[in-house]
Amino acid sequence: MLDQKTRELLKKVRDEAAEKGVSASFTIHREKSHLMRIGNSSVSLNTSEELTRLDLRVVDGRREGTHTHLVELDDPDTAREALDVAVKKAAMAAEKSYQPLSETVEDDMDESPQFDSALANLDPAEKAEAYAEIFSRTGDRYNYSGSWSSGVTEIYMVSTANEREAYHVGTDQLFSVVLKDPDGSWELRDDQTGWRFDQFSVDDTVRRLTSLLPVFRNNRGFRVDEGEYTVVLGSGALSEIVSFAVFTGMNGRMWEENQGWTSDRKPGERIVGDNLTVIDDPGNENTFRFGFDLAGKTRKSFPLIEKGVFKNLMYDISSAARFGKEPTGHHTRSPSMVIGTGDGPGDPLQAVADEPRVLWIPALHYMNMPSISRGIFTGSSRFNALLVENGEIVSPIFSTRITDSFQNVLNNVRTLSSTEVSENGSSTYARRAPVAMAVPSYAVIEGVKITDCAESF
Amino acid sequence: MSDHPEVQRQVESGIDHALAEDADYCDVRFYSKDKSEFLLLYDGNLEANDTGTESGLGVRVLWGGAWGFAASSDLGSIEETFRRAVRNAKTASTLVRIPLDMGTQSPQKGSYESPMKVSPFEVSLKDKLDFLQRIDRELEEDWIQRRMLRAGFQERRVRFWNSEGSRIDKHLCNVFGAMMIMGMDEDGRMQRRSHSLFTTGDGTRGWELMIRPELFSSHTERIKTELSQLLKADELEYGKRSVILLPGQGHLQVHETIGHPLELDRILGYELSYAGGSFVDLGSFGELRYGSEKLNASSYGGVANSPGSFGFDDEGTPEKNYLLIDKGILVNALTSRAMVREANERAGRKVFEGSGGVARASSFYRAPIDRMTNINVEPGDDGSLRDIVEATEDGVILDNPTSWSIGSNREHFHFGCEIAWEIKNGKRTRILKNPTYQGHTLEFYNSLSAVGGRSTWRVEQVNNCGKGEPNQTMEIGHGVPVMRFDDVVTGERG
Repeated sequence: MLDQKTRELLKKVRDEAAEKGVSASFTIHREKSHLMRIGNSSVSLNTSEELTRLDLRVVDGRREGTHTHLVELDDPDTAREALDVAVKKAAMAAEKSYQPLSETVEDDMDESPQFDSALANLDPAEKAEAYAEIFSRTGDRYNYSGSWSSGVTEIYMVSTANEREAYHVGTDQLFSVVLKDPDGSWELRDDQTGWRFDQFSVDDTVRRLTSLLPVFRNNRGFRVDEGEYTVVLGSGALSEIVSFAVFTGMNGRMWEENQGWTSDRKPGERIVGDNLTVIDDPGNENTFRFGFDLAGKTRKSFPLIEKGVFKNLMYDISSAARFGKEPTGHHTRSPSMVIGTGDGPGDPLQAVADEPRVLWIPALHYMNMPSISRGIFTGSSRFNALLVENGEIVSPIFSTRITDSFQNVLNNVRTLSSTEVSENGSSTYARRAPVAMAVPSYAVIEGVKITDCAESF
Repeated sequence: MSDHPEVQRQVESGIDHALAEDADYCDVRFYSKDKSEFLLLYDGNLEANDTGTESGLGVRVLWGGAWGFAASSDLGSIEETFRRAVRNAKTASTLVRIPLDMGTQSPQKGSYESPMKVSPFEVSLKDKLDFLQRIDRELEEDWIQRRMLRAGFQERRVRFWNSEGSRIDKHLCNVFGAMMIMGMDEDGRMQRRSHSLFTTGDGTRGWELMIRPELFSSHTERIKTELSQLLKADELEYGKRSVILLPGQGHLQVHETIGHPLELDRILGYELSYAGGSFVDLGSFGELRYGSEKLNASSYGGVANSPGSFGFDDEGTPEKNYLLIDKGILVNALTSRAMVREANERAGRKVFEGSGGVARASSFYRAPIDRMTNINVEPGDDGSLRDIVEATEDGVILDNPTSWSIGSNREHFHFGCEIAWEIKNGKRTRILKNPTYQGHTLEFYNSLSAVGGRSTWRVEQVNNCGKGEPNQTMEIGHGVPVMRFDDVVTGERG
C-alpha cells in the first residue's frame, strides 16, 4: 500500500514545481495484481506483478507534455527527473490553438469504498483449490480453461493547482471458467465479478454450468438463418452494446466533431426507446466506484440517457478544453455505467414464454463498429447461446452474427429484467483498470438483424 | 551486461536458486531501458506528447509442469522476485493434468539489433514536430473536417537468460506512423481515408524509415483525392462479387484469419476463455485445404525491416522462416517450445518438428505467449493490380479497415473498409462508400483466385495486436500482396 512517505515525497516535488511556476499534475498508479490462468484443466500460468507508475503532465501556456515512469518511488530525485522530462517536453511542444486545462484536485479525498483485505491478500492456492473443486463437481471428463484476476489498485493524485490530495484504493476480481466438451466442439462459460472475495462462490458456478450441460450434451447445434429475430440479450451482450453506444454517442468530442451516431441529435431529444435509462453513477455498488477522475474532478451521478432522451455529453479534460466546456468527471478509465432495470421477471424464459422462437445470446464476441456515424455494430454469439421456443430451451445455437444499429436495437427493447447484475469490463492492457457496469440481467429485443451463422459453435 | 553487473550476478544467483528448488526450467528477461513515445497532431493541435520509460525484470519458472511468473521494477528485490516466481510455480503445480515441458534446447549465445541508422529517440521533438506539421499542412483543406497524424516510437534493450545457459541481448526499435483525414458525405455522415507507414521489408527501421516519402509523407494528395470522391460516392450495395484486397486491408484479413487461428496455444485451448479457440485442430496439419493452390503463407521472423523481426524469441529460440500454408494445404502453425511438445504428445505423432520461435512478451512484466512474427502471404504470378483488375468481371477493390469482427474460433469474419472501387468488366468504374464484406474463413481462402506479384507486396506494420491474460499488445508485421477472392458477400442487406 502506498505509504505516507511516498505521498510526502510527491507533495514535496509538487511544492517545488509550484514554487518555480510549473503547472503540473502528479498521479501514482500502483497495482498489486495476481492472475491465475487455466488451460487444459491445469494452471497454465500463475503470475503476480507489483508495479508503480508515475504519470506527469505539464501545461506550459498553450503547450503540454506528459511522461510516464514505471518506477519504485523511494527517492524525490526520481520524481524530479520524471518531472524534468515532462517540463522539457512541454517547453518544446507546439502551441495549441486553445488553452489546455490543468488537472485540479477538486476535493480532498481519501477513499476506499470497495477494499477487501481478504481479496487483496488472497493466497493463489485458494484459486487453484476452487478451480479443482469446480472441475470435480461439474465433471472431470470436460476440458477446462479460464482465468481469475484479482488485485489492488491505488491512485494518488496531487497537482500544483492547489494543495489538495486525492487517494483511492480498491480491490477487484474477475473469475471465468470455460468448459469444453472433449467429444464435441461446444463450450460453456461462467463468470463472476466483485470487489470482495466472499462474492465468489464455487456453488454458483457449478450450478450454472450443470444446468446448461444437458442442453448442450443432448442437442446438436442449430444453424440460424439470416433474418430478424426476437433476441434475449444477456447482461454481457447488453452491456457491450450499450457501452459502445454510450462511448460513441455521448462522447463530447465525437459529438462535437460530428463523428458519433448521435451527432445529428441534440441533448433533450429522444434517441432510443423510452424504457432505456443510462447513468454514470459512481455510487452504484455493482460498479467499481471511483470518487474522482484522473483530472482531479469529483465524480458524481451523471445521467446520459433518461427514459430514451439524450441528456448529457461526457467531456474529459482535453475535449472540455478544446470545445470550451466544463469537464464532467470523465477523464477516467473506470466509469460506472448503470443501465436502469425494468419490470421483467427474473427468469428470461418467463419473459418470452409466449414467443414461438427466440434467440438467447448471453454475450457478444469481438464487437466492432463498421460505421460509427450510423451507429452500426457487429458481433457474434459465443458461449451459452440458445434457441428458445415458447419459453422452453430447445437447443444450443451455432456462432451467430448480429449486424444492426443502436437506433434499431435500443428502440426495440420490449422487456428489461428487474434484476440488476454486475458486468466486469476490466482490462489489464499495460495497467490494471477495474471497470464494471450495472445492468439488467437480460433484455428482450425485437427485430434484431441476424446476418450470418457458422456451422459450428 | 557490463553496465549492470549486479543485476547479472543476482540473476545468475536467482537461476541457481530456482534450479536448487527443483525447477524444471527458468528464464529471465531484464529490460534495462524500455522507451516509448507517442505524438498525435489532431487538427494541427499536438493532442498527445507522451513519453514513457520502463525498466525491470520478469522471471518465469517451470516447476512440476506448471508456470509461475513474477515481475518487479524494483532492482532491489530481484531475489524476492525469483522466490515469488518459484512460489507461484509450485502453487500452479498443484493443479496440473497435462504437465508442460520445455524439452531441451542447446544454449543460445547471441544478440540482435533492429537495423537502424538514427534512433527516433535521438531526434529532437522539434524535428519530429516539424516533420509532422509539414504533412499536416499538406492535408489541410477547407472541406476536410478532421486531420490526424500519429507517430509512435519504441526502443528497448533486453537481456535474456535461461537455465540452459542461453544469454541473448536484444536492441529493438520500432517506428509507426499513420495519417487520417475525415469529411462529411452527402448523407451528413463522416467518411475517412488513412495511410499507415509501411515497409518494403528491406532497409532500416529507425527515424529514417519515417521520413522516406514513398512510404509515408507522399501519400497526402492521394488520400485527399480519394476522400473528396468518397464524399460524393454511392453506397456499396449488398451482393456477391469478387473482392480485391489491397495490402492496407489484406494484411488485417491475414492477421485475423491466418495468423490468429494458427497460434498453437489457441489451437490447444490455452486462449479459450479470452481470445478464443481455433477451427484448426491437430489433425488438420498436412490435410486441411485452407485455401486455393494460389495460397502460400509463411511465418518469417527474418524480414529485415519489420516489427515482427526480433532475432530470438523470449524463450531463446532463434527466429525462423517456414511455410504455414503450402499451395493451399495447411502444413504448420505458430509454435513455441512447450506447445510443440504438448501438441505432438496429444497427437501421438510428430506434427511439429520444433519450436517456430514465436514466444514473445510485450514487456518485462508479462510472460511470453505464442505471437505472430511476420505472417506473410507470398507474392504470386498474377502480375500487377492493374493486371488483376483487368481480369475481373464484377468486383470491388477494398482498402483500409474501419472495423473487424471475427468469430471466436476464427471460422467467420466481418470487415468494414474505408473505400471501395467498383470494377465492371475489367475496368474501375466508380468509388463506393461504407463497404463491408463477410465470409467463412475456409470458403473465403478457397476462393482466392489471383495473387499479385512482388511489385504489389509490402510489409504492413501492426502495433496493436491484443492477446493473452494479463493482456498484452504486440508489434507484428505482415508482408502481403494484392489478393482477389471470388463470390464474397459484400455490403449489408437493406
